[in-house]
Amino acid sequence: METELKKIGGGFSVSRVWTMAAATVTQLVRMRILVFLVVLSAIVVAAGFMFPVFSAEQQLKMLKYVSFGALQFFSLVLAIVATALLLPKDIEDRTLYTILSKPVPRVEYLLGKFFGVMLLIGGGLLLMDVLLCAVLHLRQSLVLAQELAFLKQGHATAEELAVEAARIEAQGVGWSLQIGVLAVFLKAGVVTALALMISCFASSTLFTVITTFCVCIIGQGQELIREFFFHRTFDAAGEKIASGLFAVLVPDLRLFDVIDQVVAGDEVAGGAALFMTGAGLLYMAGYLVVAHLLFVEKEL
Amino acid sequence: MRSRRVQALVVLLLFGVVKLPIEQVVSAKMKEARMLQGSLDLGLWENLGQMGFAASLGGLRALVAGVTYMQAYVAFEDIEWAKVDSLFQLTSRLQPNDVSYWDEAAWHMAYNAASNYLHSDRVEPIMRGKLYHSHIERGIRILEDGLRYNPDNVRLLSRLGDIYSKRKLDPVKAGETYEKVSTFEGLERYGRFAAYEYLKTTDRELWKRSYELLMASYKRDGKKFPSVIDGIKELEKRLGIPFMQWIPEKGSGRGVVAPVQPMDLPATR
Repeated sequence: METELKKIGGGFSVSRVWTMAAATVTQLVRMRILVFLVVLSAIVVAAGFMFPVFSAEQQLKMLKYVSFGALQFFSLVLAIVATALLLPKDIEDRTLYTILSKPVPRVEYLLGKFFGVMLLIGGGLLLMDVLLCAVLHLRQSLVLAQELAFLKQGHATAEELAVEAARIEAQGVGWSLQIGVLAVFLKAGVVTALALMISCFASSTLFTVITTFCVCIIGQGQELIREFFFHRTFDAAGEKIASGLFAVLVPDLRLFDVIDQVVAGDEVAGGAALFMTGAGLLYMAGYLVVAHLLFVEKEL
Repeated sequence: MRSRRVQALVVLLLFGVVKLPIEQVVSAKMKEARMLQGSLDLGLWENLGQMGFAASLGGLRALVAGVTYMQAYVAFEDIEWAKVDSLFQLTSRLQPNDVSYWDEAAWHMAYNAASNYLHSDRVEPIMRGKLYHSHIERGIRILEDGLRYNPDNVRLLSRLGDIYSKRKLDPVKAGETYEKVSTFEGLERYGRFAAYEYLKTTDRELWKRSYELLMASYKRDGKKFPSVIDGIKELEKRLGIPFMQWIPEKGSGRGVVAPVQPMDLPATR
């Protein structure tokens, strides 16, 4: 890699990576991916006014369930499909040859693509997060006022009113909600790095999409495989090798499933959030290094 | 080219080996902080169906729980109690740390289903009482299951106390449960509720406990609740409390004010 950098006459350039990332965002926006974002945002808004017959607490929870479902769907689909499309599209349009004929190291091209997808996912998540917070706040104020008025009519005591108010307020906008969004972003980051790594040796877009999707599904059950590998006595050597390989090759995507706790209205511990962030960054770094090794001498 | 691919594979395998213990530690830390739930029970496959199970495995467990909750709500509207029970069971197993599901499931069984069976024309009169009691018991079992996943959860404990008190009519267990809730910070008022329950029993020892709890509430609370004063007055008679230790009558700002021991009450009222 060092030789390659010397050959092109320059070290690593953050500004070149940024330029590549910005170009990737433009490229993806032109693919009309934002229409997808608009549809999912509409679902978030609609979820705010659905389920009026449920209890106040459940109405807010359902809003969060549906919204986080939309956030996860948006980020994962974008992470897999957009990343899988990038390299083949650049080869097809011959943009890749134009870029690499300039003094741009392949590592910068790869990082530019990765950060471009992450920027788009991050931007989309941010927009949907703002929308979710606004709808949740509005809905919470409405149901709180309605519930307290109803309880006052029934001559509820001050203690009962306070308990109900606290229960509804726990379902509102808070920091734990933001940690939930961060978890979705980190998971999307890991999947993007993984898809990029797979696309570096894949023969087609479809192969990248299907393989990454399968790895994501296995990644959700990686903990089970890991437990099986570490704690089970094996009858056959094949079992141990297979479970070991799965545990080694696949990331544990369940580490980012903190949404269940967030939706339940539980406080999320800052220390545990740091562990989650650390794990996410480690996965991304690991898969990007392998992606670079695959891409650096890929025959184009 | 080939050597790079081999290099990539070696790095991928090395990275995988290094990440394994890290994953174990991070997963354990996050479970300790109650940020992660346990793995999905594979036995849920049959109940969730392939799509639901795949979605749950795919990280959309909360969303699947939301869908089964909605199905349970529809079953409630259709007054299909067995379906309500099984769907809530499914929902709470998907989200065992979300206490609202255990709470609501128990409430449906012990209040709605039990009362519905008691007054239902569709059920033989001889069966009504049996179904009423069995659904109250079901509500209690749901809360006990919920407390296994969420030990010492105040919301579930107070609901359990309510069911023992208002549905099962078991003042001893209701009192014990409320007393447990009263040990949590800011929930001292539940000591009062426990005392009211103990007052309903015929056990002299529990009356003594009730007296202690009510006196503690009387001394602690700025506002003197009429029910607390009534309870203490009743217990003064039942327990034969010496006159010198009696508290003033309800609303007796004037008139005969019984002498109060410094250990019991403030010197002036």
